[in-house]
Amino acid sequence: MFDFDATLPLMAVQFLLLTALLNLVFYKPLTKALDERDAYIRNNQATAKESLARAESLVKDYEAQIAAARKESQSILEKAQAAAREIVAQKIAEAQKEVQAQKEQAADEIQQQKATALSTLEQQVDSLSRQILEKILGPELVR
Amino acid sequence: MEILGSLTILNTFTLAELEVGEHFLWKIGNYTVHGQVFLVSWIVIGALLIASLAATRNIQTVPSGIQNFMEYVLEFIRDLTKNQLGEKEYRPWVPFIGTLFLFIFVSNWGGILVPWRLIELPSGELAAPTNDINTTVALALLTSLAYFYAGLRKKGLGYFKRYIEPTPILMPITVLEDFTKPLSLSFRLFGNILADELVVAVLVLLVPLFVPLPLMALGLFTSAIQALVFATLAGAYIHEALEGHGE
Repeated sequence: MFDFDATLPLMAVQFLLLTALLNLVFYKPLTKALDERDAYIRNNQATAKESLARAESLVKDYEAQIAAARKESQSILEKAQAAAREIVAQKIAEAQKEVQAQKEQAADEIQQQKATALSTLEQQVDSLSRQILEKILGPELVR
Repeated sequence: MEILGSLTILNTFTLAELEVGEHFLWKIGNYTVHGQVFLVSWIVIGALLIASLAATRNIQTVPSGIQNFMEYVLEFIRDLTKNQLGEKEYRPWVPFIGTLFLFIFVSNWGGILVPWRLIELPSGELAAPTNDINTTVALALLTSLAYFYAGLRKKGLGYFKRYIEPTPILMPITVLEDFTKPLSLSFRLFGNILADELVVAVLVLLVPLFVPLPLMALGLFTSAIQALVFATLAGAYIHEALEGHGE
């Protein structure tokens, strides 16, 4: 069972040869393949992460833009509403002024007409009283 | 002896027989080598090389089939080495520890799964190369050389300070460790594999049907564990040499 002979060194040499051969045809190429695949996967992951980050920043950007646009539209709306209110107030004031003016004019006219009417009435009163006097006293006496 | 004799007569056509310590010897000059060990180890090496070549012949970014399988194997080995040696040091040692694991694992499983007994040899029998003490001692000595090399390369001659570093009183133990490490490595593997094959052979001799199957399954389990243990311990020893006591 324990008979050592030249098998021992020959087996050792043979094993070293096998190690060298397997290093050439098995360990080196497959290790290279594994490392390359690792690098490839890592690269892809890195680029994917990068694009994800870019996409996220874009989303944030767009969201900021949307928020700004919304704010702007809000302010425009408010401005428009304020302007409209102002215009309405102005128009109302104008209309009131006009109405006031017309009213005043109408009052003036009425006053005027009243004055003319009163003056004609006075004249008529005068002529009528004269006529009445003529009738009663006779025409010669009146003058 | 009578009964045993009749048993052997009965068993002249059997599928199994116990042959321990018989080898298919080849002579090279004045030296002898165990031919059956080399025959099976060449088949193991061939299988490993063919699988590797098939996996790396056409490397795809998205692996499939044999490439996927061998990548799984490589990742397993890398994890094993990384666990022992740490993230920083493990890379140069992946081929050595990985080849230890692969060679022992394929040898062990090949010894169990391939019906070597169907191939007749003039003497001895084909079996896992790891059931020969020469193979396991060769691997264990290489592991020892590897950790000495690792320590010397990292720290230069300062590596030998570890014998006297905490206190010189412990020096006999640290020196002894350098001998017990390869001894325990080689005998653990050798004993496990040989014992498993012997148990299966004995059971096949006694009850040739079905009964040995659970033990063969157990053998698959233990031999996988042994390959893992050998590679893990080799990694641990190298790590110890790299780290040293002081740090």
